[in-house]
Amino acid sequence: MSLVKIQGNASGTGIFTVAAPNSNTDRTLTLPDSTGTIATAESTLSQFNASGSAPVYACRAWVNFNGTSTVAIRASGNVTSITDNGTGDYTVNFTTAMPDANYSYVFGADDNATNTPFIQTMISNTTAALRIGIWRSGVGRADTPNCTAAIFR
Amino acid sequence: MNQRIIYPTDDGGVAVIIPADCGLTIEEIATKDVPAGKPYEIVDVSEIPSDRTFRGAWTWAS
Repeated sequence: MSLVKIQGNASGTGIFTVAAPNSNTDRTLTLPDSTGTIATAESTLSQFNASGSAPVYACRAWVNFNGTSTVAIRASGNVTSITDNGTGDYTVNFTTAMPDANYSYVFGADDNATNTPFIQTMISNTTAALRIGIWRSGVGRADTPNCTAAIFR
Repeated sequence: MNQRIIYPTDDGGVAVIIPADCGLTIEEIATKDVPAGKPYEIVDVSEIPSDRTFRGAWTWAS
């Protein structure tokens, strides 16, 4: 049987209290099987290198993919796949759905080579997926090697 | 994954699903991401043309 040890600090004088909430339900808090310090709201913000008191809203899904030649995902998070619907037309499929479709999306697209601007637009969105259109100035719908999307909610 | 999932689109074309390294199998991704009611096929990536010049002309031939 492993044991739980609560250890004081000989240099300090403060009293630390483990307090229960007002509840009629039994709960078990399982400690992580690793060495470290329990996070608080303040220390969590510190982990994000966030100064000040403004809240942090994390990215809920993201993807970086090559939209030319053999289309392929380079890296992603909370994404099961992308669907190639046609030239400059892709759907990002989320692993775990968003809580609603009112999320914010940030796109990026470039071709490594020219200064021709690309524009990415949202074609449609649901809690499960986000369909993206990629447009190249003076060309219309276009494929490009560097396509990225990030979703915040 | 060196596999792709293809299915016909409503306009007569073909959609290609590119799987992410997400811990799901290609079959699980197909079940989740192919629109309900659509037939689909799992193919090797080598079967998908890399020349996308006429991407709009691709069709589904099951």
